[in-house]
Amino acid sequence: MPEIVVGYDGSDCAKTALDEAVALAKDLGDSVLIVFGFAPHGPGGGEVKAQRDAVHELGERITGEAAARVADSGVDHAVEMLPEHGADALSDLASEHDARMIVVGTHGESPLRGAILGSTAHRLIQIAERPVLVVHRESA
Amino acid sequence: MESASAAVPAGAEPGGKGLKANAIGYLTNLVISIASVAPAYSLAATLGFIVAIDGMGVHAPAVMIVSFVPMLLIASAYNYMNRADPDCGTSFTWVTRAMGPRSGWITGWAIVVADVVVMATLAYIAGKYTFLLFNWDSAAHSLLAVSIVAAIWIGVMTWICYVGIELSAATQRILLSIEIITLALFAVVALVKVYTGGAPDASMHIGLDWFSPFGLPGGSSALIDGVLLGVFIYWGWDSGVCVNEESEDSANGPGKAAVLSTILLVLIYVVVAASAQAFAGTEGLTHHKNDVLATLGGPVLGSPLDKLLIITVLTSASASTQTTILPTARTTLSMARFGSIPSAFGKISPKHLTPSVSTLVMGGVSLVWTLFIINVSQNVLGDSITGLGFQIAFYYGLTGFACAIYYRRELFRSARNFFMAGVVPFVGGAMLTYIFVKAFIDNAPVDSAYSGGVFGLGAADAIGVGLLLVGVVLMVFANIVYPRFFRRKRETAPPNFLEQGRGPAVDTVTPE
Repeated sequence: MPEIVVGYDGSDCAKTALDEAVALAKDLGDSVLIVFGFAPHGPGGGEVKAQRDAVHELGERITGEAAARVADSGVDHAVEMLPEHGADALSDLASEHDARMIVVGTHGESPLRGAILGSTAHRLIQIAERPVLVVHRESA
Repeated sequence: MESASAAVPAGAEPGGKGLKANAIGYLTNLVISIASVAPAYSLAATLGFIVAIDGMGVHAPAVMIVSFVPMLLIASAYNYMNRADPDCGTSFTWVTRAMGPRSGWITGWAIVVADVVVMATLAYIAGKYTFLLFNWDSAAHSLLAVSIVAAIWIGVMTWICYVGIELSAATQRILLSIEIITLALFAVVALVKVYTGGAPDASMHIGLDWFSPFGLPGGSSALIDGVLLGVFIYWGWDSGVCVNEESEDSANGPGKAAVLSTILLVLIYVVVAASAQAFAGTEGLTHHKNDVLATLGGPVLGSPLDKLLIITVLTSASASTQTTILPTARTTLSMARFGSIPSAFGKISPKHLTPSVSTLVMGGVSLVWTLFIINVSQNVLGDSITGLGFQIAFYYGLTGFACAIYYRRELFRSARNFFMAGVVPFVGGAMLTYIFVKAFIDNAPVDSAYSGGVFGLGAADAIGVGLLLVGVVLMVFANIVYPRFFRRKRETAPPNFLEQGRGPAVDTVTPE
């Protein structure tokens, strides 16, 4: 069964993206893979590990909620947590699974802001080997 | 996903997989190493004060070289402790494991205090240089005006860290390139003017003795006071090393980046120090110690290039602020997860995935301290940076000892272990301890400080050591409130750990 990979961080736009992915999965007969990717930003030093562990705990809670959200729809789903930044995590996993597509939400950043500051959607479009679907928050 | 948390990770790069990984990762590591140290800001804040030390004479460039020695030795401690705790733990965790909870707690305190104190110097420079950028000299010399910009600066920087905004790797590379090119340009033009007669009368020709740590008019006392300041200019270099060690498996790239960044840094400091001193003379630098780069920019580079120097100091200061707030917020986050400070510091923002309470409290405390010290101290930079030297020497020193102690049973298994995990970190720790004690005695007289005294101690001692002592008092309370943490046992490296290659020697899950 082909998979649709969804980037999920618990935000409203991620929820919109997840709903979109679930709707598509239903139509296409696919399953959904919910991915929470995180790597502490900024330079090393400090107790990066502490942040990573704390975020991992948070991620487990958030993806648990996401799984519950998907469960109601009856679509097959799985959760994956990766210790990488969002875009890298999504792209790698999608290639590995030969996913049908990657679905992410956008906070509505401008392309310029994305280029200067980096955004998951922006980067994903550049690096992903699989097709990418970017969902705007309003489009739900 | 969060746009904020989606910024480029340390040591990686979009598409940085496979073939491209080495080439790009290597450069990014280099950028991170150097950007963490913020050479332009460090020079702006410190160069004048090193030259201004009584009895320094012409030896400031030598101080730049000598100061690096203890940092290099401590880097070996970082390297080895990082192998035991590969997920980039730092001093608080390591010292807690190796030397026990009390030493660990006070190490964490030292890191936090150093952060708060350095924020004042960063914000002060940001305030002053912002006005100098617009040629608004009266505002640059007004306490009120500088305080306002300093407060805004801290607010914005804290917000950036809280939200998790990070410049993309490309932007960081561009900023750092501008920084290095500007400093190089400054050095070259200054030297050309010195040797072609375009420099002021006070200018001097470079002499070999400038680079010698011997023969200072003030002897070893002056040298050690200089090194205490010099420790500050290399502060942050360790975080680059830490990233380098763990970012990629490649045997060449990261290691080379560490070495190259080291050489580049020492070179930048020595060359800029020597050329600034050649151009302005020791008197000139001493006179403008609070804003050396801003005052030298005009005469050396002329308009409008002098503004580039000021902008470089500002971007460098903002990079430095980030590398101050982030690791420190992570340290208090870690302390909270260890159960050694209130658990609220362990909170993570669900939206930004950053340590929320830790970051915001750090910003708030820094703000209060900065406004206090700017308006109380006669010389924010002079007293604070010497004070910082104490705090950095204190926790780097403890980290050096912690490494030798943690690996004490492994030291005699090979000559390499003995030197790199034992002797080198221990000597680094011992050097920093000596510098700490000697400088404390030198700075004890009230009249040695720019701001006079506090409780009968020189201001630098009061800021540096006084704040550490406050930590001892707080630790007594913490001992009562968090007895579980303080009952932790010391740990040593598992037998033969260093021979078995890399791998976590400790649980990857943070202990309660």
